[in-house]
Amino acid sequence: MRSPFAYSPKPWPLQSASPGAAVVYLGSFAAVAFAYSNPIVLVAAGVGLVIAGRLAGARAAVRAALWMGLTLALLIVLVNALVVSRGETVLLRLGDVPLLSDVVTAEALAAGAAIGLRAAVVMVAFAVYSACVDPDRVLRALRPLARRSALTATLVSRLVPVAAADAARLRDAASLRGPGAAPVGRASLARRLLAGSLDRSVDVAATLELRGYSLAPPKPEGGATFFRPYRTKKRCTRREDSGSVRSGLRSRHDWRFYAIGAAVLAAAIAGKLLGADAFSQYPAVAVGLEPSTLGLSVLLILAGFAPRHG
Amino acid sequence: MAELSAPTRSAPALAVESLIYAYPQSAAPALRDVSLELAPGELVLLAGRSACGKSTLLRAACGLVPHFHGGEIEGRVVVAGIDALASGPGELASAVGYLAQDPETQVVSTTVAAEIELPLEMRGDAPGARARAVEEVALALAVPHLLGRAVDTLSGGELQRVALAAALVTRPRLVLLDEPTSQLDPVAGDELIWLLRRLNEEWGVTILLAEHRLERCLAAADRVVAMESGRIAFDGAPREFLSWAQEADQALETPAARLFSLCGIEPLPVGVRDARQTLQGLGVAHPPHPAGRRVSDPQPADPVLEAKALWVELDAGEGPRDVLRDLDLTVRRGERIALMGRNGAGKSTLLRTAAGLLEPVRGRAEAQAGMALLTQNPGDYLVRERVGDELPGEAGLAALRVVGLEHALDADPRDLSGGERQRLALAIALAGRIDGGELPGLVALDEPTRGMDRARKDDLVGLIGDLATRGAGLLVATHDVEFAAAFAERVVLMGEGVVIADGPAPEVLSGGWYFATEVARVLDLPGVVTPEQGAAILKNSSADFAFGSGMRNERRSQRGWPGGEG
Repeated sequence: MRSPFAYSPKPWPLQSASPGAAVVYLGSFAAVAFAYSNPIVLVAAGVGLVIAGRLAGARAAVRAALWMGLTLALLIVLVNALVVSRGETVLLRLGDVPLLSDVVTAEALAAGAAIGLRAAVVMVAFAVYSACVDPDRVLRALRPLARRSALTATLVSRLVPVAAADAARLRDAASLRGPGAAPVGRASLARRLLAGSLDRSVDVAATLELRGYSLAPPKPEGGATFFRPYRTKKRCTRREDSGSVRSGLRSRHDWRFYAIGAAVLAAAIAGKLLGADAFSQYPAVAVGLEPSTLGLSVLLILAGFAPRHG
Repeated sequence: MAELSAPTRSAPALAVESLIYAYPQSAAPALRDVSLELAPGELVLLAGRSACGKSTLLRAACGLVPHFHGGEIEGRVVVAGIDALASGPGELASAVGYLAQDPETQVVSTTVAAEIELPLEMRGDAPGARARAVEEVALALAVPHLLGRAVDTLSGGELQRVALAAALVTRPRLVLLDEPTSQLDPVAGDELIWLLRRLNEEWGVTILLAEHRLERCLAAADRVVAMESGRIAFDGAPREFLSWAQEADQALETPAARLFSLCGIEPLPVGVRDARQTLQGLGVAHPPHPAGRRVSDPQPADPVLEAKALWVELDAGEGPRDVLRDLDLTVRRGERIALMGRNGAGKSTLLRTAAGLLEPVRGRAEAQAGMALLTQNPGDYLVRERVGDELPGEAGLAALRVVGLEHALDADPRDLSGGERQRLALAIALAGRIDGGELPGLVALDEPTRGMDRARKDDLVGLIGDLATRGAGLLVATHDVEFAAAFAERVVLMGEGVVIADGPAPEVLSGGWYFATEVARVLDLPGVVTPEQGAAILKNSSADFAFGSGMRNERRSQRGWPGGEG
């Protein structure tokens, strides 16, 4: 069974975009989630990301991230409500319980919900990134900057799915042991998996050697002639989009993601200055509904449509 | 780092001189005084039993030995004019491509295109040149439709082709392949061998191919090199190799050669076409059909597995699909059944569903008296460092007795041979399911002959027969038609999740082309699948058909073949 977060190559705009463009675009949503506490803005960022994920063909990743994110959010709400005693609206009195607050307040619940919402939005952003951005292209972009780190990342990125498959096989084998065989505990399985992973990593490292990974970095080619053909203004067809996914070349959609990402970041900064993040939890919950808040929210939702075809 | 030297066109593709090599902490050398030269454009088959040094020789030719594995080495290895002992695998990457047995560990990228492109990128090729090379190698290997796919969504056969494409994309002078067909079904295996032949002829690539299933690739080879205990025991033409194998190591004979050998016909055939032509020349191109060969009806024994209207759905990352579709199958006590079909036909899924690892979406699969399943990787069952710790108590000892390993109670599983490890894993699956020496349930094996030589397969045939005698129903998923012909009394052929043929083994294994033994393809007679059966027919017809000068003396034809059922 493939992980819903695994990258699926598709000849679609977000998958075709260069890693930089995708990172700027998706990163702008994550930046808003980190910078803002206003639930309206956070919900808008979440809605924008869900739209982006669905348009980019990452429905499974979005669904899984929402499930995990909302579960985490619920946990945060619960913990916050139980440990924070601030707030005017008391919903429940717990009495004197060690380490816990003596009351559950509506404000503590709201504060927890805002933190949980922020975590969920960030998780959805990373899920869409994981499902839509080719890790090979990211590593290729990193290689000239940090060769050894890129090699380590390559090994790890390959070994993670291999180790997951090995673990699944070992679990199956453990469940297939006869009733008269010694049972296998988690520790034995983990030890066996580790030993197997070491063998696997040797095989993968050997393959990297054979592919020439140990060679010195190739000398940079003179001029920018290689990229010139891809800067032509002729209309790209979908087949060409697919080609850019395959060869890691630039995409005609890059400008769109750079522009929208930059617009969201600029609007977020402006919004901060104009009071779009107005939200206070204590002593009473007050959600700001400034025009800047609504404007930024609308922009975030509209930005979610960037990965559509066309 | 060593200066890169350019591959030389006129130099031999591979020259090995007096090579002696021992792995680190190994008492005995894996290669002993090996000398070998491969001319440009040759397709050479590397034959020999398991652990005879084939893989080590291939690793020396691509630089992994000694640069990656370490150890002690003497002698000289030169690949296309580059000293492989002075240069590492990276420096040799432009001159030599290497494809190992397990394609899973040979892919390092997320997508197919990136995987194929990686060696060119490492070499510093320009993006335009890389794109063209990737496109061309993808076309040559018929995988352009896979370029945009993620590698973890590919089947074993597709993955093997992608790994081969990555090995070929630099247009190397020499390609080394270590049992590339061991995980492929007969269709994909045959396709890969003929693809190699085409690349060899059209691109002039020198190919050194290590294989156990010699019948699959002997006809495509220009030359055969046979190894024995780390030494080269034979080096010559395929037909001469067969004559040598007949005298020196009959486990290396092909089924068609053995058929001829049993009948005393010469020359020994290197392939099906060759065998047919020889028989035609002798006037026995159409031997009489075996008269009245009655196939015994299935024993009315108790069923040990009943699958009824079974539907199983799996999602390999591209949406759920039905892998088993309305499948019915009954296995009875004492039956030996080969479960065959191409990669992805649903064989493993059926076994895993019967063992309870997968839930059907509809229908049922019940192994009423219990089931022991040995999956494709026996090593997954071995988690402790002493055999006795894996199988404690009387139940464990009984299981070890069944597989003939009761003497190895104190051994470390890692010190056992490959065949013994497989038997130990089977004992672990059987432990506690043996009733006074009897095996009342189903025993299922999934691809048990991967990477096995003939001698080990013959041992396995014996073990399967013994388990069936003890009352177990045997259901063995396999791609190996010769192995199926040796052990099975019934063959179930699957395709796209349904049973497309189910009948006595001689009938099913002689009624097709891909899922037919070499002897069946040579003689094209219903029910004749093994060399012994074929020889009996040919000998009976010898009164009517003069073998003439092709007949050899009777003494040689009387010799048996170890492991054959006769």
